Amino acid sequence: MLSFLDKANTVAPSDYNRFLVPPAALCVHLCIGQAYAFSTFVIPLSHLIGGDKAAADDWTELQAGRTFSIAIVFLGLSAAVFGRWVEEGGPRRAMFTAALCFSGGFLLSAVGAWLHQLWLLYLGYGVLGGCGLGIGYISPVSTLIKWFPDRPGMATGFAIMGFGGGAMIGGPLSVNFMKIFGSWNIPLWGHSATGGVAETFLAMGAIYLVYMMIGSLIVRIPAPGWAPAGYVVPVTARALVTAANVEVNEAMKTRQFYLLWGILCLNVSAGIGVLNYAAPMIQYVFPDHVNKVIAGGFVGFLSIFNMAGRLFWSSISDYIGRRPTYMIFFLLGILLYAIVPTTGHLGSTALFVAAFAIIFTMYGGGFATIPAYLRDIFGTMHVGAIHGRLLTAWSVAGIVGPEIVGRIREHEISQGVPDADSYDLSMYIMAGLLAVGFLCNYFVSAVDSRHHFKAGASVPAPAGE
Amino acid sequence: MTARLIGAWLLVGIPLLWGVEQTLEKAAKLFQ
Repeated sequence: MLSFLDKANTVAPSDYNRFLVPPAALCVHLCIGQAYAFSTFVIPLSHLIGGDKAAADDWTELQAGRTFSIAIVFLGLSAAVFGRWVEEGGPRRAMFTAALCFSGGFLLSAVGAWLHQLWLLYLGYGVLGGCGLGIGYISPVSTLIKWFPDRPGMATGFAIMGFGGGAMIGGPLSVNFMKIFGSWNIPLWGHSATGGVAETFLAMGAIYLVYMMIGSLIVRIPAPGWAPAGYVVPVTARALVTAANVEVNEAMKTRQFYLLWGILCLNVSAGIGVLNYAAPMIQYVFPDHVNKVIAGGFVGFLSIFNMAGRLFWSSISDYIGRRPTYMIFFLLGILLYAIVPTTGHLGSTALFVAAFAIIFTMYGGGFATIPAYLRDIFGTMHVGAIHGRLLTAWSVAGIVGPEIVGRIREHEISQGVPDADSYDLSMYIMAGLLAVGFLCNYFVSAVDSRHHFKAGASVPAPAGE
Repeated sequence: MTARLIGAWLLVGIPLLWGVEQTLEKAAKLFQ
């Protein structure tokens, strides 16, 4: 019955247009990117009983907000654990599973909100939804790389740009839904109304299920030996671009894997640390010019640059190479983080905003360019699975980055540093993290041939490639 | 195939543009 999910049944017919694959990938990434807009639910979830304000039995904002952290941890874990399953079963089965997990997570969370059971929210959006995030995130990556051997950076950039765009859709969508459903005030099964939260979870789960299913139906893998019309495999290969393949477990034994893990972790730590505190930071640095509303605008402004950078930098990397692209991220990043405190001291909001806008194009670009970097180093055979393992760097960075910025600020305040200067040291530390990232990138070299997959070895290359 | 291609891009393009427009509206407050 579910044979249409089999990899063998997703091989593209001869008239299939490869430009259908990016929208298929976007169907998934635009949905799962909602995770970054989960904060819109935090206050409503903490007012489920009290309504306009929190009641004594209501969950705290910390408890509600923890759901997002659980989801991100399970994103990393599921991408690492199921990466090989995704690779071997093909993109349709993976996208289908991701759709069921992600929308199932919303369904469970809706029940959790109605029954006011926190564990159901954690199990639903956190664990089940997190698995949907992880599987969905990596599922289209290797497929895109195989369809676009001439432009792998641009192709994966499209999908990963969608993850950035997903928050822009998910945020206002959930706010509008909660406004509408909240006014209906529907109690269910003898339980009180949830201010529209549970209904919003249900509606979003249903919409995302349909969208992700459409993506899974559109996606195809190229027929064996397929190549784009006019595409010629480069004769003079670049030093870091391999024609060989490395099996996922073998990749874990290479120095290159850990260098790339470090590159992603350090680049993300620097960005995510600032992203978490962007709104209060700009208000503290410019207390006379920036209020809460303007600070919200600053966060929105950064998210646009974050999304645009994903497509821009990954596409540029197809021309200048992956390592030079990360060299730019790290060198320019060091410079910009180092001058951010000065822009604050000068009182120049424009320079401050401009510096962070560029930084956030590179934050997004770091996410979007890494799959193509992995393809260059480890080949296409298990690139999705290797990408899955590498995403644990994101989970680590999600904790490390905000911790550094938050704790350093607390320390500075306790030492009597004024609010406006309390983030300065954090910025210099972020520049230091990027300097370490630069070194990791500098030491990346081609994988030794003893790690290359040998034809006839016991690990099968996934079919249809 | 062309119709499918256009349909697929519209399917993802319209919500994405809506999301960008909503965010730009919010971001515009930075310059007010």
